[in-house]
Parts: sequence; structure tokens; C-alpha cells
Amino acid sequence: MVLNFVTMKKIKYSLLKTIDITGLTFLDPVVRLCYGEEPQVQLKKIGQWIIVPLIAVFVALFVIYDGFIVDTFKTKSGKLPTSSKIYSSYQAIDQLHDDELAKEKAYNLSGEEREVELKAVEEKISSVAKALELAGQAVASQQEVTKASIASKVAPIQAEYEALKESIKVAATARAEELELFSQSMTPGDESAAEKLLELVRADDAQDTLDREKRNLIKEKISVTLGEKSLDLEEIKAEETYFSERLAFLKTYKTLLSTENKSLIIDEKKGRISAYEQELTTLTGADALKKAKSIVKQESVISKKEESEYAGSKTIWYQVKRSVLCVFTGFFLGSFLAIPIGIFCGLNKTFMAMMTPFIAIFKPVSPIVWLPIILILVMGAFPNPDKHPFMEFLGELPLIGVYKINPAFIASAITVALCSLWATMANTALGVASIDKDHMNVARVLKLGFFARLFKIIIPSSLPLIFAGLRISLGVGWMVLIAAELLSSSEGIGKFVFDEFNNGGSDSLAKMVVVVFIVGIIGLILDRIMVIFQRLVSFEGAPATI
Amino acid sequence: MKNTKINTLIISAAFGSMMATSLHAEQLDVEKDLLKFGFIKLTDCAPLVIAKEKGFFQDEGLQVEVVAQPNWKTLLDNVISGDLDGAHMLSGQPIAATIGFGTKAHIVTSYTMDLNGNAITVSNDIWSQMQENDPALDSPTPPHPITAEALVPVVEEILEEGQKLQMGMVFPTSTHNYELRYWLASAGINPGMYTKSDTGGRTGAQVELSVTPPPMMPATLESGNIQGYCVGEPWNQQAVAKGIGVPVTTNYDVWKNNPEKVFGVSKKWADENPKTNIAVTKALIMAGKWLDETDADGKLVNREEAARILAKSNYVGADYDVIKNSMTGFFLFQKTDKREMRDFNVFFKHHCTYPWYSDGVWFLTQMRRWGQISDAKTKDWYMETAKKVYKPEVYLAAAKLLLEEEKITEADVPWETDGFKPATTDFIDGIEYDGKEPVKYLNSHKIGNKDPE
Repeated sequence: MVLNFVTMKKIKYSLLKTIDITGLTFLDPVVRLCYGEEPQVQLKKIGQWIIVPLIAVFVALFVIYDGFIVDTFKTKSGKLPTSSKIYSSYQAIDQLHDDELAKEKAYNLSGEEREVELKAVEEKISSVAKALELAGQAVASQQEVTKASIASKVAPIQAEYEALKESIKVAATARAEELELFSQSMTPGDESAAEKLLELVRADDAQDTLDREKRNLIKEKISVTLGEKSLDLEEIKAEETYFSERLAFLKTYKTLLSTENKSLIIDEKKGRISAYEQELTTLTGADALKKAKSIVKQESVISKKEESEYAGSKTIWYQVKRSVLCVFTGFFLGSFLAIPIGIFCGLNKTFMAMMTPFIAIFKPVSPIVWLPIILILVMGAFPNPDKHPFMEFLGELPLIGVYKINPAFIASAITVALCSLWATMANTALGVASIDKDHMNVARVLKLGFFARLFKIIIPSSLPLIFAGLRISLGVGWMVLIAAELLSSSEGIGKFVFDEFNNGGSDSLAKMVVVVFIVGIIGLILDRIMVIFQRLVSFEGAPATI
Repeated sequence: MKNTKINTLIISAAFGSMMATSLHAEQLDVEKDLLKFGFIKLTDCAPLVIAKEKGFFQDEGLQVEVVAQPNWKTLLDNVISGDLDGAHMLSGQPIAATIGFGTKAHIVTSYTMDLNGNAITVSNDIWSQMQENDPALDSPTPPHPITAEALVPVVEEILEEGQKLQMGMVFPTSTHNYELRYWLASAGINPGMYTKSDTGGRTGAQVELSVTPPPMMPATLESGNIQGYCVGEPWNQQAVAKGIGVPVTTNYDVWKNNPEKVFGVSKKWADENPKTNIAVTKALIMAGKWLDETDADGKLVNREEAARILAKSNYVGADYDVIKNSMTGFFLFQKTDKREMRDFNVFFKHHCTYPWYSDGVWFLTQMRRWGQISDAKTKDWYMETAKKVYKPEVYLAAAKLLLEEEKITEADVPWETDGFKPATTDFIDGIEYDGKEPVKYLNSHKIGNKDPE
């Protein structure tokens, strides 16, 4: 029961070591505190590294953002989303994902399970339909109220506008008449009169502009009043939308369990075929031939149906996974190029000089420039991607096959590679160039061959710097990927953001903000993974940065 | 209950009506049953989305994924490369691709997705200037149709300042480009000509038109890069909802019941998958019919449900309220000016889903009028080209199967037509268009290329 003191110590040190390697140093005082090591010092550290950051997040999000920024800043589609709205958008995105999974499951469900599920869903449908009806009534009545209140607000402004318009018109006609009279009273050759007329006309023109501005001001006011959104109404409407979406999903779900269910359709067809087969035995001649042909045709339909999959739409977690796959593809591709070139650059000054112009010119090129070029090249390489053997091979790979690798994916990956390989290349070259001269001399004394030198001395001693480069590359690649996906419309997080931007719905902004956090958190995880590798290959335990 | 539904589904005639006499006929033995179709976030992608969501594709034994595309160019490229099996396309796109204006590829269509559905929106500032030029417009409900006459002084004033009014449209060969040009030219404003060296279509322009993807229109207008645009829904209603612009006219006023989008596939795909092509067309016809179903009073009964479906973020994604306006037969010109327009989006009425040759010829005349086709062409060339792209035989094969399944009625399809709609003068300037006389039609316009007859 009681753990041996030594084992306890062992666990403590292995925990602390893990924390150190992963760079999650804020957990360190928690572990130490659990072991009762200098509680006061640990508590102070916990306060500094856990409590303070949490307070900062809380203040930034709920006090500064929700309390201040949301109320002062407005976009054309309404207020900025509050943090609770952002969270509910996250739930909505996640719900969409679950719905798609459920639909796919329903399509493939068979036997008793299907019947049980069908009953359950029918009950749910009737309850949701009731809720929707209630929500619909609430919206209708609230709409009346809002309409009336807006109309009552607009009416006086509209009246003011009409009055102003009338008075401006009267004044303008009066001025026009005055000008007319004055111009007729002028005698040719009278310079001062001419000047006076010019002045009058100028004043008239200025007055016109002034009047127009006045009118536009009131018009703007009317337009703003008309566009006022009632918060109550928005809330009830959101509720109605929620229920109607649930209902639509449940209905689709039901059809997938019943009329469109795979097993049902196949059973039905099989029954048809066996009926045909019986009929066939009673037939002869052309009729028999016809029947036999249609049986064979139906059999081929069935075999296709058996293989068929549910064609759903792509949802966020699928897109996230595909993006991660894409960034690693690009990252490995880039590293595969960068590390050997970097090593040669480090070993040989002439080779370095040779590579310099390429590095200097291509390094600053933005992914936005690379992508369209790469896309055209990749499209050229796979003129018929559906039937290209390489693509078919990729499509049949386990795990990766579901991500449907297409030219857009490959182009995004290559763009990631092109933009991210520079950090690895520079760091590798630096690592190789700064190997201790003594190590190289020892190699010379031992008369090691080139490859022995490469694998025993050069690579091992430059690994820490190579990994430092790889870590930067992966970070750059992740940033580049989102832009590349947005442009190539390769299924992924970038496409999700662009689709939402294109939607321009009232919840689009909130959903895009959700993506900020998703991208940030995944970027953080990728970085931590690289930190672990970097620490593992460093002999003296180079410090992990934040 | 479910069995009866299945039975009705499966009472379908086999390809070539082999089993026409049998009560139990079967689904087409399609070559490919997992399909991927592309669309642009516009309400007129509805037939594709509805065919998927209401199970019409399923009825034909097809599993279909519909994927949003960022712009028309990418969409076309993906259809050509085979990444997409087919897509929601601008009517001009298959024609332009086939004759080689822009990307060259043989694209065919056997289904017209809808009529009308676009509008021309100008910024608030331009609108108030137009109101000053024509006091009749300065009212909460100005008289329609609004021509570009009131815009002429605005255009001239900006020209005097050494600049040009900038307007957006969605694609060089889009209906929107031709409609915006038509509207401007009908008031004597030159929207510019395409020439061999000027592929932007700005030669001699008084108003410069530029390409902006539909969903970006409101943002581009708001940022001041353009002062007006012609685009499909919901992006005009969006401008009203956000208070950044005023739709001045719909394309229903520019040309009553003009063809808008088609469902395009590559010729190669159509040749490789003939039965799939027919099955897809069948599903789309059913979707169009569902969208245009009306009750006894002529009210569109399914449109609210359709608007709900389209409002989902993986389809059009705009707010339900914004989509609902035009989809249920209303159009908001200003916040104060909501008008009933039952034919704002037509998905099935007027035999609109049939691929009319005369529609193809009209687009060809516009391409010639504005110089996208750089050389004069003969009347026969117009006919031949239209026949290369529009494939009514596929449509009729699909319709025949549906008729045998008793899903549509005899009157739903123009069985005996030669593919040309009767001549019409339903244009904003009243000029007559007869699809059989393309060159004569070309010569009846004041602005634009003219050819020897």
C-alpha cells in the first residue's frame, strides 16, 4: 500500500524529467508541491506561472473583450461575437461533424439495430417538430412587435425628412427666382454686377451642397433605424434556426435509416432478383433473354451498391486532420531536400557559394506567389488525376486513403515545403560548419571514410541545430499551409475559413474566430513535439524555449 | 410505409426503356455511383443541393458529394481536370470553354438550372446621385424598371475627373457581365470592348468592369474598389441587409426569363458515363420540379424549406432571412421597398430546365457583340456551336424515363421543340431576339460589334 520511498523519488524525478523535456515547465512546481518540496517557493511559482496567466486570459477575454471591445466595435453584419457566442459557434461546428458521422453510420446500419434507431428517431422528430412550431410562433409575434416599434421610430424621422425636403425645395425655388430677377436686371458692361452675380451663384451652389448633406444625414438616420436589430428577436430567431436545423438533420437521418438505407435497398433488390429468377424458369425465347439480362444488370447494380459509401460533406475535424497530414507531407518533403543540401553547404564553402544565389532569391518568395505556379505544374503532371496510377495508389493506402489526396493537396504540400525548408537548410549548414575541429581531426587520424565521418561525427554533432531548424520549419509550414489551402481550395482548415468568409452569415465571424484557436492550439502541439525531439538529441540538454 | 416509397422509387424504366412494359423496372446501371459536384455559393445552386438533400440522387442510386468552389475559374479547372464530375456553371462557361475563349475544353450541358436570379446593385453614394438626377427615384418605392439613364450624368462627371466608374461582375463569360453591359449600353453607356490584346474588355470603356467572385462582392463594394456590381443572390440582398448598397434593377427587368446557370460536365466525362449522365439529369429534373411546386394560389410551397437547407454553412451559408427573401418570391430593393417577384428564381416553370439552343445562341451573340469572339461569324456557325454544347437528347432521355415512372407529366417537357424559343422582345430596350437570326440580332444594337449578314 505505502509506496517505497525510493520508488516515490524515482517517479518524482522521471516526472520532472518529462516536464523538462517537453518544455511544460509550468507543471514543475505542481509536482514539487505534491512532494512537499519547499511549499512556499512552489506556491509562489504556481502563482506566477499558472494563476497569473489564467487571470490574464480571463481579463482579456471576459473583461476587455466582452465588456469593452464587443460593445464599441461594430461590423456591417452586426456586433462582434461575444466569447459565449464564439463558444456556441464551436459547438455548432462540432455538432455538424457529429451529424455527418451519425448520418454515415445510419446509412450503413442494418438489422435490428436499424429498427431500434428508427423508432428512437421518430420520437425525437415529433418532439423537435413541436419545439420548432412554438419557436416559429414566438418569432412571428416578436416580429410584429419589432416591426411596430421600428415603424414608430421611423415615422417621425420620415416626416422630418419630408418637411426638410419641402422647405429645401421652397428655398431653392426662391433662390432660383432671385437669381433670375438679378440676372435680368443686369446691364451689359457692369462689372460689379457681374461679380455680384457670380457670388450669388456660388452661394446658391454652396447652399445646394449644404442642403444635400442635410438630407443625406437624415436619410442615413432612417436607414440606420430601419436596420436596427432587436436583440430579443435575434435570440428567438436563433432558437428557431437551431430547431429547424435539428429537424432537418433528424429527417435526413430517418430517411437514411429507412428508404435510403444501404442494407434495405440491397435486400429489396435481392428480393426482386429472386422473384425474377423464379419468373425466368417459366419463360422462353425473347422474354427469357430479356429477363436474364435484367437480372444480370441488377446484380451489377447490387454489387456496386454494396461497395458504395455514404457521400457526406467534409467537416472541421476531418479538415483539421487533412491539414495536419498536408503540413507533415510538405515538411518531410522540404526536410528531405534541406538537410542534405545544408550538410554539403556546411562541409564545402564552394558548394555553399554555388547555392547562395538560389537561397537568397527563393527564400523571401511568399507562398501566395508559389502556390498558383505549383498548382499549374502539378495539374500538368497529373492531367487525369482520377485515373493516374500514383493517385490511385495513394487512394488505396490505409489511413491516408480517406483523405483523398488530389493535385490541390500536393500543390499545397509542395508550397509548404518550398517556404519552410530554408530554416532547416541554414541551421544544418551552420551546425555542420561549427563542428568542433578536434572531432574532425580525430576522424582524420582514424582515417574514417566519408560516410563513416558523415554518420558518426558530422550528423550526430549537428543534430541539435538541425532539429532547431526543423522546429522553425514546421512552424513556418503550418502558417503557410493555411494560406495555401485557402488559395488552392484544398480541403482543410484554410478552406473552412474561406468558405466561412464567403458565407458572410451572422455567425461566420464567430466561426472564423474559433478557427484561430484551433490553428493556434495545433501549432502549439506541433511545436511541443519538435521541442521534445530537439531536447532528446541535445547532449547537454539545451534549454527549451517557451 | 417505407416499402411503398421504395416501390415507387424502383418503378423506374431501365435505360432505353427496355422494361417499359414491366411495372417493376429498375434503376439505371450507372457507370459511376460515387460522384463529386462543385458549386459556387449562390442560391441558384439549389437544384444540386436539393437533389442531394431531398434524396433525388439517392433515388437514382447515386451517392453525391457537393463541394463549394472558391471561384468560377477554379470550378471550371476542376471539372476539366476530372477532380469534379460536374458543376453548377455560368451559361456562358461551357460555350466559352468549347470555342476556346479562356481555358479551352469541350464542356457540354444537358440541364439548365434556372432562369433570372441576378440583380444590379450600386453603392449608396451612386444611388443618391442617381436620385438627384431623376427625382422620381427619390422615393421609398421608386417606379420600376430603372434604366441606366439616371446613371449617365454620374458616369460623365466621373469621366471629367479623369476617372472611370468601376463596376464588378463575376466572370468574363458570365450572364452578369452580359446583363450589366446590356443595361449600361441600353442607356448609351459604353462598357468597353474586348479585343485580341485587351482581354479585360476595357477598350473604349466609359465604365470599367472587373471580375470579383460573387461572395466577395459586398466586401469589395464596401471597401470602395467598385461602385456597383451585377451578381446573383444572396449577394444583392446582403448589400441591403448590411446597408451598403441599393439593388437598382433585377435581370428580370433587363431580359424577362433569361437563362442563368447550367449543369456542365466535360464531354469526355459524358462520353465515358452516358447512363450516369442520364441518371444525374433525372435527379436534377426532379429537384427543379420540387423547387417550383406551387399550391392552388400559385404560392411556392417548398421554397422556405429550400432556403433553410441552403442557409447551412456547407452550402450557401448566408443567413436564412437573407436567402429567404428572393427564394420565396420577394425581393428587397431597399429596406422600405419589398416587392413580390414570383419569377425572381425560376427552377422548372416555362420549360426552363430544357437545354435550349436559342439560349446558347444568345450568349454567342453577346460574346461577338463585345468582341470576346474576335471575328465575324456566320449564322450557321452559331447554330453548330450551340449544338456542340447543348445536349437536349440527354435531357429528353431522362425526361422520358421520368414520364414512364409517372414522376412528371406530359406537359412538363417540350417534347416536340426544335430547340428554339419563340422570338421575344422582353428586353429592357425592347429589341427583338430571334435565336434563328443571330447576325440580324447583333446588328440591331447601337453599341457593340456588327457583322455583315
